[in-house]
Amino acid sequence: LLARGKGGDEVLESDLPRAVALLKNLQEQVMAVTAQIQALTKKVQARTYPTEKGLSLLEVKDQLLLMYLMDLSHLILDKASGGSLQGHAAVLRLVEIRTVLEKIRPLDQKLKYQIDKLVKTAVTGSLSENDPLRFKPHPSNMMSKLSSEDEEDEAEEGQSGAAGKKSANGAVKKYVPPRLVPVHYDETEAEREKKRLERAKRRALSSSVIRELKEQYSDAPEEIRDARHPHVTRQSQEDQHRINYEESMMVRLSVSKREKGRRKRANVMSSQLHSLTHFSDISALTGETPHLDEDQNPIKKRKKIPKKGRKKKGFRRRR
Amino acid sequence: YRDVLTVIFSYFKAFRLLQRKQMVIDVLHPGKATVPKTETREKLAKTYKNTPDVIFVFGFRTHFGGGKTTGFGMIYDSLDYAKKNEPKHRLARHGLYEKTKTSRKQREERKNRMKKVRGAKANVGAGQKEE
Repeated sequence: LLARGKGGDEVLESDLPRAVALLKNLQEQVMAVTAQIQALTKKVQARTYPTEKGLSLLEVKDQLLLMYLMDLSHLILDKASGGSLQGHAAVLRLVEIRTVLEKIRPLDQKLKYQIDKLVKTAVTGSLSENDPLRFKPHPSNMMSKLSSEDEEDEAEEGQSGAAGKKSANGAVKKYVPPRLVPVHYDETEAEREKKRLERAKRRALSSSVIRELKEQYSDAPEEIRDARHPHVTRQSQEDQHRINYEESMMVRLSVSKREKGRRKRANVMSSQLHSLTHFSDISALTGETPHLDEDQNPIKKRKKIPKKGRKKKGFRRRR
Repeated sequence: YRDVLTVIFSYFKAFRLLQRKQMVIDVLHPGKATVPKTETREKLAKTYKNTPDVIFVFGFRTHFGGGKTTGFGMIYDSLDYAKKNEPKHRLARHGLYEKTKTSRKQREERKNRMKKVRGAKANVGAGQKEE
C-alpha cells in the first residue's frame, strides 16, 4: 500500500489522459451498440426475419455456440470477482445449451458428408476427381453442334428428342455396341494332350477295376449295394427330380434331344449285360496305349463339321 | 377290365386364390390305350359330384409299357371362375374361347401402315395398292 501510494501517483498522472480517452471511447461504443440493438429489435418486431419454417441447422448451431460462449464468459467474470457458482442462472443456461448441442450431434454426423463436399467445392472451385457426380449424364453433349437453325425448328415443332437428334445430326451414326475384350487363345497341342490325358485318368479312376482294387486294399468294411452303373443311377436320379418338379408345379417340361439321348443310353446300359464282360479302359493310369475289345465301337475323334449356310438361324457373315 | 382313376392325395390342393382345386391324377388302364380326356373328366365329375364342364385335365403321360397314365386336373368352383383363371389354350380345347385368326404378317403390315399416319384417323385399311 505504501509503495503504491508514492509511486502510484506518478503512474496515475501519466495514465490519466489515456484513461479519459478510453472511457470516452467506451461510451461511444456503448452508444453504437445500443443503437444497433434497438434497430435489430425493431426489425424483429417488423417481422423481417421469418422463422415459420424454422431455422437451418447451421444457423442454430451458430447461435447456440455464441450463447454458450457468452454465458461461459459471464460465469468466468463472476468467479474471477469472487462470486459463487451455486445456483447461478448462467449455469442452468449453459447446461441447456450443452444438451441441445449434443442432441444435434447425430444430425450433424449425417450431414457431414454433404457439408464437407460443399466446403471442398467452395474452396477448390470444382468437383474432386473421385466424385461420382462427375459421371452423371450430360444430354447436351449428345446433340451435335452443327446447325443451330435445325435445332430451333425442332424446338418450335415440339418433336420428340430422338427425332430432333436425328435431323440435327448431319449423318446418323448407327450405334455399335462395344465388343468384349478378346482373350488370347493360348492352348497349344501339348496342353490339349495334357487335358485329354487328365480326363482319361479321372474316368479310369472310377472304373470298376480300380474300384474293386480299392475295396480289396482298404480297411473299410465291404459294402454290398444294389448298385447299378453310375451313369444309370445318375440318370434315374435326374428323372426322379424331374418327375417331382412336374408333379408339384403341375406343368410338363419339354425334353431336349440331349436329354432323350441320355435317357436312351441309360436304358440300354441297364438292359444289356454290358458291364459283365466289358471293362473300361484304364490305360491312362498304366501308361499303355488305349486298346479296345473287338466288339466295342471305336473311339470317334471329334471332327469340326463346317456349318453350311444357315439361312434362317444365326447371322451369316457377309464378306 | 375296368379303369381305375386315382387321385394322388398328397398332391391334392385347394387353391383358394384361383378358386379351384388342383391335383395329380393316376389312371390305370391295363390292356387298353390311353384314356381320352373327356372320359377322365366324366369320371372325375362323378367322384367330386360336379359337372364336367368345370373340370380341366391336361398333361397326360403314359408310362413305359402301358397301363398307367399320369396327368393333372383342376376343378373350378364355377364356370365364371374357370373362364377368368384358366389359361386360354385350355379354354379353347373346351370351346369356350376363340383365338383371333389374323396372321402375324398381316398384323405387322398393319402396324407399319399405322406408323405413317398420325393421330386418330379412321381407317388404316388393307391398302395393298399403296401408291
